[in-house]
Amino acid sequence: MSRPKEKIFKIEPFKHKVEMDPRYPERTWKLLEDAIHQIYNHNASNLSFEELYRSAYNMVLHKYGDKLYNGLVNTMTEHLREIGRLIEAAQGGLFLEELNSKWMEHNKALQMIRDILMYMDRTYVANFNKTPVHELGLNLWRDNIVRSLKIRDRLLDTLLDLVHRERTGEVINRGLMRNITKMLMDLGSAVYQEEFERPFLDAAADFYKLESQQFIETSDCADYLKKAERRLNEEIERVSHYLDAKSESKITAVVEKEMIFNHMKLLVEMENSGLVSMLTDDKYNDLARMYTLFRRVSTGLATIRDVMSAHLRETGRQLVMDPERQKDPVEFVQRLLDEKDKYDKIINSSFNNDKTFQNALNSAFEYFINLNVRSPEFISLFVDDKLRKGLKGVSEEDVETVLDKVMMLFRYLQEKDVFEKYYKQHLAKRLLSGRTVSDDAERSLIVKLKTECGYQFTSKLEGMFTDMKTSRDTMQGFNTGGDSNEGPALAVQVLTTGSWPTQSGARCNLPTEILSICDKFKAYYLSTHTGRRLTWQTNMGTADLKATFANGQKHELNVSTYQMCILMLFNQADSLSYKDVEQATDIPSLDLKRSLQSLACVKGKNLLRKEPMSKDISEEDVFTFNDRFASKFYKVKISTVVAQKESEPEKVETRQKVEEDRKPQIEAAIVRILKARRVLDHNNIVSEVTKQLQARFLPNPVVIKKRIESLIEREFLERDKVDRKLYRYLA
Amino acid sequence: MRKEDTVKLISAEGFEFIIDRKAALVSNTLKNMLTSSGSFTETELGEVRFPEISTPILEKVCQYFYWSLQFASGKETEFHIEPEITLELMMAANYLHT
Repeated sequence: MSRPKEKIFKIEPFKHKVEMDPRYPERTWKLLEDAIHQIYNHNASNLSFEELYRSAYNMVLHKYGDKLYNGLVNTMTEHLREIGRLIEAAQGGLFLEELNSKWMEHNKALQMIRDILMYMDRTYVANFNKTPVHELGLNLWRDNIVRSLKIRDRLLDTLLDLVHRERTGEVINRGLMRNITKMLMDLGSAVYQEEFERPFLDAAADFYKLESQQFIETSDCADYLKKAERRLNEEIERVSHYLDAKSESKITAVVEKEMIFNHMKLLVEMENSGLVSMLTDDKYNDLARMYTLFRRVSTGLATIRDVMSAHLRETGRQLVMDPERQKDPVEFVQRLLDEKDKYDKIINSSFNNDKTFQNALNSAFEYFINLNVRSPEFISLFVDDKLRKGLKGVSEEDVETVLDKVMMLFRYLQEKDVFEKYYKQHLAKRLLSGRTVSDDAERSLIVKLKTECGYQFTSKLEGMFTDMKTSRDTMQGFNTGGDSNEGPALAVQVLTTGSWPTQSGARCNLPTEILSICDKFKAYYLSTHTGRRLTWQTNMGTADLKATFANGQKHELNVSTYQMCILMLFNQADSLSYKDVEQATDIPSLDLKRSLQSLACVKGKNLLRKEPMSKDISEEDVFTFNDRFASKFYKVKISTVVAQKESEPEKVETRQKVEEDRKPQIEAAIVRILKARRVLDHNNIVSEVTKQLQARFLPNPVVIKKRIESLIEREFLERDKVDRKLYRYLA
Repeated sequence: MRKEDTVKLISAEGFEFIIDRKAALVSNTLKNMLTSSGSFTETELGEVRFPEISTPILEKVCQYFYWSLQFASGKETEFHIEPEITLELMMAANYLHT
């Protein structure tokens, strides 16, 4: 071999100790092998760590690592086989204990072996990519013990049997279980999963499939849920006691699927104990349990929600359509509020205040409240009732809560303008008869309506309040200016036309005493406000009369203007026929009959006597003054038929008025939209109009179409000449 | 000083060095010997015999243990090693895994 000329430095190996006793490796290995046997036999205290370490050190240093490593593998395998035989021999219940104690010993021995072979771990194992001693020991244990033919199945069966026994109520040695599963986990999570977890989950699925079937056949929904909950908690507890924490989600998933998901529909719809009966019986705990359990599975909450929603719609529908209920509007609304309260409470206390449940509740209410066209009227009547008398002696906060609740129902209404209409009527009656209990409550409700529907909605209502205030001032001026001692006293409320639901053409012939003072007021008023026109709304007024009866008894009678007119007639005559009264007063017959009825037919308050005696007024009746009228009180209030729910023809009338009022609103919306868009097709107009007016009512597409036609006639719009579906705005 | 807190190291020539246990633990090998879960002779007696380490080297090793503790606690001084013992000391270090 030719070499380049220049000298190359060569580092010679250190020759010093190379020539070695050829039997040295054999001898050293024998020493170590003996030591390993000793360790397995618990005789380590005779051994010198230093000596063993030095032996292993030297073997590795002198390139006998292979021999050392392989020797270790063989020796350990041999030992483990021996141990395996011992474990196999263990009888019945001792099997696990034996396995566990041998495992503990093996672990300890392994630790010691690793310690004395540390040098090999550090150098030989690292350099030759071998398995480190500790891991090697675990792998050998896994292959020779856990996966050995005779142990593998027996181990699994024993473990599953123990779990099963615990499930059926026996007490098992959890510590031992814990050690064994820990062993499997120590051997690697793959071993744990393969040797235990997977079959464990399968067994659980079988077990719960069977059990849930039994439960569902024997128990009602609430009991079943209790059992399911207990089982679930048991499994979670089991995991915490002796299984890998990662198993928790897997085993709970199994239980959830078998116990809940597979029976969900059946449970919810269970007769006499399912969701519906829980809801009706206010079973908060059961409901909460159902919620928490069902939340665990994917479609669980949706199932509850759907059933609840359907049930709510059905009961709600029955409630609003029940003809019995419709007789008493206040009761009707109170029932709605109670229903809402009930479900609010359920959602709050049992359903974790779940937003989706609240939405379902709202949409259900919206659905059935609007089923009954009279809902707006009834809600207004409810408010009327509360503001008239219901809120007496109730604290301000309570008033607020009642009003807030009413507002909540109001929000569900689709025909808010109908509500407005009725509310205006009822408010007018309240204001004019001076019956409002609390001005603050009235105003607070107006503010609420305003925030809900905007300024437009309440401007007229607010106008009514302003009218009341100015009227008070006017009256003060009038009374101080004139000599008020003579004749009857007059209180006038000047109402702005348009703000109030006035019926024009209400006529009646006032007694002359009243007429004169009325004229006086008219003159006074017109002198300060020139250019205005005053008309008397006699159908809305009230009067206080002082009357003297047969035995000298005096009473002050609080009656309506109409009744006053009728009673004044009896100053001149003792007996009058219906025709006479009608002629003299000129009151519209419907109102006249109603007034006469309250004067003559109410027991204990009959100022008039009627011939013949009957409940209803007919045109042939004759009335006489009842001078034997008696009452405990000095002041007697003769009630007219107060704001009740409307009679059928009135209802139709109001309906027509509402429809009439809607027309300009729809037209305005159409014009607004087309002004912005210039050109738009029919369908889009309809949807836009609906969107704009949604806050007040749901416009009917047919009506919208009519309005469009009317606008075309009046040349606000025109149809496009090419595309007849398009409308064009004409500026 | 209690006996449990000290360790006796014995050189090839039979010299005994008694040092703090925590100093001895600087060596991973010694640490294993002294704390091994098994009950070897060393663990029980608290003394280790080194038939292949000479007295001067073992002395130097013990010095190193103390120096190392100081160094770890932040006191950075130089550890002087005489050139002539370097090789032997390195072998001992490898053996003791320090």
